[in-house]
Amino acid sequence: MTLVLKSVGRKVGHNWIVKDLNFSVRQNECLVVVGPSGCGKSSTLRLIAGLDRCDHGSIKIDDRDITNLQPSERAIGMVFQSYALLPHLTVYENLELGLRVRGMRAEQRARRIQNILDIVQLSDRPNHLPSALSGGQRQRVALARALLRDPKVYLLDEPMSNLDAQLREKIRPELRSLILSQEKPTLYVTHDQNEALAMATKIAILNNGQIEQLDTPFNVYHNPQSLFVAQFLGRPQINCLKVRNNTIDAVRPENLTISDSGLPCRLLAREWLGNTQLLYLDSDEGELRMTIDPSFVCPERIFVQWDKSKVFHFDAKTGQRKSFH
Amino acid sequence: MKFKSSLIVLLLVWSIMPLLWQLYTSFSTDQALVTPFAELSERWTLDHYRNVISSDPPFFMYLANSFFVGIISTLLTLFVALPAAYSISKLSRKTSNYVRVILVACALFPYVLLFLSLLELARTFSLGNNLIALALPYTALSQPLAVLLLSSAFVSLPSELDDAARVEGLSLIKRFRWIYIPLLSPAIASTAILIFLFSWNEYPIALTWISDNSKLTLPVAMARIAGSSIHSVPYGAYAAATVLGAIPLILLVIVFQKPIVSGLTSGAIKG
Repeated sequence: MTLVLKSVGRKVGHNWIVKDLNFSVRQNECLVVVGPSGCGKSSTLRLIAGLDRCDHGSIKIDDRDITNLQPSERAIGMVFQSYALLPHLTVYENLELGLRVRGMRAEQRARRIQNILDIVQLSDRPNHLPSALSGGQRQRVALARALLRDPKVYLLDEPMSNLDAQLREKIRPELRSLILSQEKPTLYVTHDQNEALAMATKIAILNNGQIEQLDTPFNVYHNPQSLFVAQFLGRPQINCLKVRNNTIDAVRPENLTISDSGLPCRLLAREWLGNTQLLYLDSDEGELRMTIDPSFVCPERIFVQWDKSKVFHFDAKTGQRKSFH
Repeated sequence: MKFKSSLIVLLLVWSIMPLLWQLYTSFSTDQALVTPFAELSERWTLDHYRNVISSDPPFFMYLANSFFVGIISTLLTLFVALPAAYSISKLSRKTSNYVRVILVACALFPYVLLFLSLLELARTFSLGNNLIALALPYTALSQPLAVLLLSSAFVSLPSELDDAARVEGLSLIKRFRWIYIPLLSPAIASTAILIFLFSWNEYPIALTWISDNSKLTLPVAMARIAGSSIHSVPYGAYAAATVLGAIPLILLVIVFQKPIVSGLTSGAIKG
């Protein structure tokens, strides 16, 4: 099963909020779409779900063109950011509604709902209202609703953004294994890059409605194709050195080391982050960020250097990666 | 704090005094009303209530007529206003603001100015002396306010509920059945009560459209009671009729107190 987007675009007024999207998501793949607010992540998902109209291009699941189909005819299962559970219906009734609308018989409905509740480990709470559930449980109900449709494609719109950090970390591996066990193409939208790196088999970085880079999480981080991608992924943010010959050199904070010679720097501030510490340095190359062993006591003046092979070179005008042979 | 409490008590007394006075009047003998401080052997009476209830046609018929017209106009108004409000909530912000301004203008229009043309319509289409027909102008006149209140309520619903329902394959009618009506029930209840109150209290149109004694609505019937004698105003009977006419409304408000309050404040506080 494969989801294929060809040259997909959507216009609002005179602006393209999503433009020329071309990608495919295969069975067992979880493509995470990540990008800053307003870059078109959720719009992409809405276009695939059929909640918004495509102004250009086509969307196919396998060879079936679904571009102009109604949302319910597209064989998609969607999990919404707010979970979109009906507050006046119990967990069971929330799950049952879609099946009932599709005309499934009562015994069959009960059997399928019980199966799904077992999978999402909520079989002890069918009669609870959503308000009586924790954030994680609500998310599992929303996921169960998507699973019940037995869709060909899963779409998840920031499904963990309403959970606290601790719960998010706990649920992340569960959600990932649950999604991948379905063996369907999955499109996952998030603004949280840690979540993106953890959940993805592939990542698409979106900027101004267009894909900047689509690759494996490893490649996107270690081999960014544009300055935007390099700056967007990785916290603390990548260091951009002074512009020379229309080129911006960039090096990640973890690739800076303290040495006896090199670039002289002055310590501006330090943040202790538990397993590491972040130094803010002032240098002739501009302000730099550097991560270092948390026990290191940094003097006010230090020398810093980096491995040349770990430096990325970007065109100062276009922001595109330059390769030097 | 003390000033605040005193002000609240003062406002309560200010609001409730006319009602208490009406209640007092309805149980007082005519003599007690004109000589309030005199020593009287008979100060209290149920005669006004007896007279009103045993009048011909019986007073409860007017109550029933008003109730019937109120229910019909409320149902008709909601039937039209709910889809209209939904549509307005789906318009772009700019367009929906324009529509809302027009609706506010319509809601503020003094409807008494329409009653001659409405009378003309009633004559042309033979709608006089028909309680269902009387509900038609009430429905039309209630629309702007109902649409305004309900469209604000629709806007407050999270759009993802609608999206999720569309993905599940719920048609618009099913979305109304399963999502909008249950979730907006407080707003619908408060709107319904406002419409009902309007139709319950409406006088000029009822006066001109209904002449048959057995089909009179409450306000017209009460005006007839008040003007039944050319020599004096029957304060006691009028007060008894007012109290009887107010009882259904008070019961309605007590029963639906919770949805009315939450409906009137919906959208006022970010949840």
